Amino acid sequence: MKKKVLASLLCVAMAATMVVGCGSSADTSADAPAADDAAADDAAADDAAADDAATDDAAATDDAAAGGDYHFEIIVKSYQSSYWQAAVKGVEQEAAKLGVTYNCTGPNAESDIADQVNMLNNAINVDGVDGIGLAACDQSACLDALQAAMDKGIPVVCFDSGIPDAPEGSVLSTVATDNYGAGATAAENLYAGLKDKIAAATAPVRIGEVNQEATSESIINRGLGFIDKFAELAKADGKTVAVIGNDKYVNDAKAETVAEAEADIIIEVAVPAQTTVELCATEASVIMNKADTIGMFGSNQVAAEGILTANENLNVLGTDPETSVLAAGFDAGSVIKGAITDGKMYGAVTQSPLAMGITTIDTLYAIASGQTVSDVPTQGYWYNADNMNDDSIAPNLYD
Amino acid sequence: MKKKSSIFTSQKFIVLLVVIVLFGFFSIISQNFRQYSTIMSILDYSYYIVLMSIGVTFPLITGGVDLSIGTGLICYSLAGGYLITQKGMPVAVGLLVTILLGILIGLLNGVLVAIMDLPPFLTTLCTCMITRGLGSIFSKGFGISWPAAGADGGWFRSIFKITTAGGTKIPIGFLWMLIIVAIMAFVLNHTKMGRYTIAIGSNKEATRLSGVNVKFYHVMAYVISGFFAALAAVAYSAVFATVQPGTGAGFELEAIGGAIIGGVSATGGAGSVEGSLIGVFVICLLKTGLPYIGLQANWQQIITGLVLIGAVMVDIIKKKRAEVH
Repeated sequence: MKKKVLASLLCVAMAATMVVGCGSSADTSADAPAADDAAADDAAADDAAADDAATDDAAATDDAAAGGDYHFEIIVKSYQSSYWQAAVKGVEQEAAKLGVTYNCTGPNAESDIADQVNMLNNAINVDGVDGIGLAACDQSACLDALQAAMDKGIPVVCFDSGIPDAPEGSVLSTVATDNYGAGATAAENLYAGLKDKIAAATAPVRIGEVNQEATSESIINRGLGFIDKFAELAKADGKTVAVIGNDKYVNDAKAETVAEAEADIIIEVAVPAQTTVELCATEASVIMNKADTIGMFGSNQVAAEGILTANENLNVLGTDPETSVLAAGFDAGSVIKGAITDGKMYGAVTQSPLAMGITTIDTLYAIASGQTVSDVPTQGYWYNADNMNDDSIAPNLYD
Repeated sequence: MKKKSSIFTSQKFIVLLVVIVLFGFFSIISQNFRQYSTIMSILDYSYYIVLMSIGVTFPLITGGVDLSIGTGLICYSLAGGYLITQKGMPVAVGLLVTILLGILIGLLNGVLVAIMDLPPFLTTLCTCMITRGLGSIFSKGFGISWPAAGADGGWFRSIFKITTAGGTKIPIGFLWMLIIVAIMAFVLNHTKMGRYTIAIGSNKEATRLSGVNVKFYHVMAYVISGFFAALAAVAYSAVFATVQPGTGAGFELEAIGGAIIGGVSATGGAGSVEGSLIGVFVICLLKTGLPYIGLQANWQQIITGLVLIGAVMVDIIKKKRAEVH
């Protein structure tokens, strides 16, 4: 009896899937002719889509209706850090301003790559979607889905992280922080704070760098940007630099280096076994415990908080290079902001997630209205206790 | 097992030796390791694993397992932290909710395993996924920072660490761990609750036939595990700055690994709370010590894995010997 009930339930489920499946494929074929027409690609597909969207009950409230009632699907990397809160806020603000609707989703963790691919596929199948904003967790997992989006004529804008191997023409714009440049910004400011100490040093000094992993494009570039810039500045002052620690960073650094024994400055790069705060803290402790350490850099929120957690017991951080170790962080959050206010952390680089969210919607809107767009690099800003309340900085310092 | 093994050949004693040898080894190789601040860090980062390990010892002894404690820990902490930081509730309320939630999930595990007879591995794997999702829902998907030490409501952080006026830090949490271990060791060895837990692990059917309310005590093993996962959540929130949703998977393996190293039988029926405590410190020492001797991340995981295999092998060999005798 139970089996029969189960079997009939399964039959119903299968039938339902077929109906739904056919439904969506019918949509696809309706859109396809427009999309296939290569020349008129964008404009035609978007017009068709815009017509669809017009029948939706879009929450167009103000002046925006001028451009049409567009609907965008936004997929973030995860909800793991408050960083995304600010990005989603930017999306929300700009969508309200332009009078477009959006739906925002994202997997639980940045490592849930398959979940995110599913979300992307679902977004492609949403009726009347005019564009997709995607912060991809993985550089290669989304390629098939991007092809499918292109086949359906749905434009994709990548934000936060780019997808270098995306099918030609599928990603129309990438809105992302110049991570290499942002890492360099941290190096410039930390070097400025340590310049006198380095110049006066009679024995080698050590700079620690904690990266939560060695696999994602953004973290790798920040780490390398920091190493290369710091070494460049040191060289200009006549100092030699050695890079030691994690193989990936040591091998990929472009900086001119010497052997550890001959170096004036040793940059030691640590990467924990997993991206958890206690392992970041342990790696940070190892470096901060060394007597010759004068500076630290944590290349994202988890790594920077790891440095602060390590300092709970070590108590070596401060803002005076003569008596303490200077630490530079990355991103914001209440813990890092508090540490900067309290003089525990020297400063940090914040990306502009708010601006990134706003720019993503702007770019999608521009594409939907038939304009040509290009990549938009967003900046990383240095902030410390002095400027963190400035109008240009404060909005990006999410909790 | 006629000739009752002396204390010097017991697994607990051997593991304690391993802990001492490991500590000595790291101290000799790295002068930075043998510092008060490093010991403080090892203790700070061990409390949550110790608590999880004490709790999970009970389901392990019944022959089951509880895989939901890692993601559960994060889930409970997010729920409590959300109420405190976003809803402005007192820290005490947040702590209470954290602990109640742990007991509730433990009860759910217990009912599914002991009363509905579902396999423990699968059941707790499911609740592991459920708590992972639930945590994100509680915190609306965002990381939660419990009140910082010194800030309003930061008092709970000094449950585990007191800073004296002179700036010296005292790891008072370790004292609590010893007291809790003593209490739970008493519960396991000298109360009905504990004796029946062991009996269920040795032979559930025989225990039932002797008139014991097996279902009740079996459920309670999981409730204890859930309760301690919640205590671990408090310890975790007190030591670390931010609790991130979506994390926590893998914590349970460190706790279960610690328990197994400490002599809990991988097939149930035997084990001790104090053994689990000592076993956890093998894991914690490896986690903290290996970076100090300059081993890169991937090697740390390989070595920890190998140590665990060793511990399980010891368990199996002991069993075989016991059968021969």
